[in-house]
Formats: sequence, C-alpha cells, structure tokens
Amino acid sequence: MSNSFMSTHSRIVTRPISFVIFLVFLLSLLLPLSVSASGPVASKVNNPANDLWMSVRHNTQSGKVTSQVKSVDSTVLINSQADRWLRFRMTQLINYGLILLAAVSSLIFLFYLFRGRIKLEGGLSGTMVHRFSDYERVLHWVLAIVFLFLAVTGLMLLFGRTLLIPVLGHEVFSVLASASKEGHNLFGPIFFVSLLLMLLRFAARNIYAKGDLTWLLKGGGMLGKSHVTGGFFNMGEKTWYWLVILIGLGISVSGLILVSPNLGQGRTIMELSHVVHGIGAIILIAVSFGHIYLGTKGTEGTLESMKTGYVDIKWAEEHHDRWAKQCHENNQLIAAEDYARLQGRAVREENITASPVVEESK
Amino acid sequence: MITDFIDGPLWTFSLTVFSIGVIWKLASLVFARRKTDLSAARSSGVPGAIRTIFSRFKADKGMAPHIRLQIVAGYMFHLGLFALLFFAAPHVLFLQEHFFSFEGMSFSWTPMPHWAFIVASQFAFLGLLMLWLHRVLNPVSRLISTADDHIAAILTFVVMLTGCLALLESFNELRLLHRFCVELFLIYFPFSRLMHAFTFIPSRAFTGAWFARRGIRS
Repeated sequence: MSNSFMSTHSRIVTRPISFVIFLVFLLSLLLPLSVSASGPVASKVNNPANDLWMSVRHNTQSGKVTSQVKSVDSTVLINSQADRWLRFRMTQLINYGLILLAAVSSLIFLFYLFRGRIKLEGGLSGTMVHRFSDYERVLHWVLAIVFLFLAVTGLMLLFGRTLLIPVLGHEVFSVLASASKEGHNLFGPIFFVSLLLMLLRFAARNIYAKGDLTWLLKGGGMLGKSHVTGGFFNMGEKTWYWLVILIGLGISVSGLILVSPNLGQGRTIMELSHVVHGIGAIILIAVSFGHIYLGTKGTEGTLESMKTGYVDIKWAEEHHDRWAKQCHENNQLIAAEDYARLQGRAVREENITASPVVEESK
Repeated sequence: MITDFIDGPLWTFSLTVFSIGVIWKLASLVFARRKTDLSAARSSGVPGAIRTIFSRFKADKGMAPHIRLQIVAGYMFHLGLFALLFFAAPHVLFLQEHFFSFEGMSFSWTPMPHWAFIVASQFAFLGLLMLWLHRVLNPVSRLISTADDHIAAILTFVVMLTGCLALLESFNELRLLHRFCVELFLIYFPFSRLMHAFTFIPSRAFTGAWFARRGIRS
C-alpha cells in the first residue's frame, strides 16, 4: 500500500515539473521571434553576414578582396551600378527614345502637309553646275547605307523586346536579334572609317562663316518667303555635318569600347559607353529623318547633287547664292545639252531635247 | 523539310551547275577557233603571257591617278573576299568536311583568327560597297554596266552579309539562309561576269602572249 501511495504521490509531483520544463522548452523556441519583434534589442544583434554582404554589395572592401582571376573588376562580386543602368535603359532610354523618334517623324509629316514640297521659284533652268565629285558622292552613300543598316539593327536590339516580341514572338526575334547584333558589330567600324574619311574631305567647307547666323535667324527660308543667303554649304547643312561628325565619333568610340570588352575597361566605362551610344544614336537617327526628308521629297532639285554630282543653277542661286555667284564668275555653268552628254543621255537619245533635265526645266 | 532541301538536293544541284558551267566555259575558251596568226613571231609568247599575268596587278601609270578609288576599293574587296572564302574558320571546316575527306583521312589548313576574319570582312564590305556605288554613280561606269554587273555585285554582297549575320553559329535558320544564298550564287556564277574569277588568268596570258608575238611589251 505504501508503495502504491508513493508512486501515486511521485506521479502527481513529477507531472507538473515535466510540464513546466516542456513549456519552457516551447517558449525558448519562440525566443528568437520575440527578440526580433522588439526593435531596440534587434538592432543590437550584429550578424557578421550582414556586414559581409553589405560590403560585397557596395564594394567597400575593394582593396582587400583578392581573386585568382587577374582582370579589371574581377574582385567585384555584385555590380550595384548595373541596376541603375538597367533601370535607365528599360524605363528612360527606350521610352523617351521611342517618343522622340515618333515626335520627329510626326513633325516632319505635319510640316510636309502644311508646307508641301519646297519648290524653286522660277523652276529648273536646265543649266547645271558641278557640285560633288564621284569620290564625295561614293563616300556620302557609303556612310548613308552603313548608317541606315546600323540604325535598323540598333533599333531592333533596343526596341525589339518592347515592339517586336509581341508581334513576332520570342523565337523569331531571337534569330533577328542575333543577326542584328553580329551585323551591327561588324558594320560599326566601317561607319567609323567612313566618318573619318568624311571629316577629312568636307571639314574645310563646313567651317562656320559670316552670314550663317542670318540663315539661322530666318529659319533657313522655310519659315517665311524671304530669301536666305548661303555659301557652298548653308548653316543647316554645316550644323548637320558637325552633328554627324561629333555625335558619330561619340557613337563610334563608345561602340568600339562596347564591342571590345577585353581591352581593360571596367563595367562603369562599359555602362557609360552604352548610355552615350544609345542617346547619341537616337539623336542622330531623329535628326537624320529631317536630312533624308529635305534631301529627297522636301526640296526640289537637292537629290540631284548626290545622284549626279551636278545641280541646277537656279537651285544653287536659291539655296547657296554666294556659291552660285562664284560659279557665274568662274564660268562654271554647263549647258543642258552638254550636261546630257556628260551623263551619257545624248549617246542613247537622238533627240537631246527629250532628256529629263531639259524636260524638267520646261 | 526546307533544311533537308537546302542542305541536300539544292546543294548538289548548285554545285553541279557551277562545276559543269565553269568547265564548259573554260573549255569553250581553250577550244575556241581562232584565226591563225601568219605573221613572223618577234618573240616567244610564253614569257609575255607570264609577265602580263603579273603586270596587270598594277594599274597603268597613266590611268592610276584617275582610278585611285577603284584600285583601292578593288584590292580591299578582292583580298578581303579571298581571305574570307578560304581562311574563315567555318569555311575551312566546311571545305575539309565536304571536299577534302577521303576514307577517314582529311586535309585542312590553319584558319584565320576571329579578329582577322572580322577585319577581312570589313575590308570586303567597304570595298564592294564603294565599287558598286562608283558603278552606279559614275556616268561612264553606269553606261557600260549591264544588269549582270549589278546582279553579281548584289548577290555577292548578300552572300557575304548573310554569312556575317550567321557568325554566332547559334541559329540554324541563319546558316540555312547563308547556304541558300551561296547556292543561288553558285548557280548564277557560270552565266555571269563572276566567271572572271577563273578567266582573268587565261585572259591576261592570251593578251600577253599575243602582244609578245608582235613584239609589244605589256
């Protein structure tokens, strides 16, 4: 009996103790939660991993980190600046770029609707003057063709994700993007070389001179009816030329940096190059819309200069009067018949008066 | 299906047309009936033929200043294309696999490094662009050019371009596009002025030999 009493008594005593121990154990499991919930206490807890990853993230220990790989930025594990660059590319460059290109295209279209083609006042005369040599025209068209190819492939790479994937799908776009990238990288240096040749050939004739400001103030003659004076190149053409040269050089140099990532430049320079390349290219493409419009549909007689190398004297007098005066003084005018012969038209056409130049002048 | 067609029957067909066409054209040149030159030969034609084959690589002194653009662009294009055709790594591998493998043995040569490939193709592109633009823009060149000249230039450009677009070698579609263009090029080749790739040597040799017989140094 006493044994059974003792065992019953001990069970009654030990049960609450084990229960308390179990409860304490459970509460101890919740301890980290309660610690983390109480702010001031949590801030005092110093997790060494925090410091480690913070310094990795912000690259604060750059001098102390070593790597077996010996190259620029090889000790940078996380490039925080890339986030900023990525945000800029995805939210600003693409969006504002699209807006700029669409706005410029619309403005040109509206200008054409309201102003129409700028025609020569007295019409074409048929008498021509020599303006550009074969080499100069070849150079212009090489640069133009390469520029257009680079613009198309570059825009595909920049806007493809936004504009082309929804239309073509991922598979087709991946093929296009790969082809665009290879083509873009290959033709980039050709653009650079053409640009340097352009600089050497045309720089002297594009230096700003007296009278250019007047041209600018009168809006190049497009805003009103008054005549504006101009030399071999007018203010607008000179400005376009220097834009192409300066922005083109910026695009070329940044492109060469991007296409050669193993030359020792770091990520920061690569990202900066991408920014310069993207912004420069979009500006140049936008302005080129204006150049293409004015050189073809926008102004009567302009395209002839880059097709044949000759322009109508009336065109020269209207757009480049100072140069036209020099042509008159130096007796450089070529009669319609002689011009037709120079272009090989008289060889094929028995009746010279039927040549397009003379027809146009009538 | 298109892959099989381009890699199979069309390739065989284009190669057959190219081979038979080139042999036919060259044979017709060799066996063409000519008037017998009855005049007494001033000298043997052989040295003249050999000399002219090489002397024509250099432009005539009187002409050179007037055709500087064509000389520079011509050399850029032809040397660039030669390097691309025979020394680009994918081409070396292709030639080894398709033309120089016999019963388990194969013959090959060292390809260009990648950077040299890029530079060669840039030379070729710039040269070809300049030559074609000069053909279109210069009134004399334009007048003596025929549709064949333009088709040949454009076809060559397209073949080069599609090849360079497929440079990454990651997409079968781009490889097929390039191969298809090459096949069109091979079919067109024997019937066009592209044949000058084979005829320039016999043509120069004939002229040189003919001149030498008459005592003219060319």
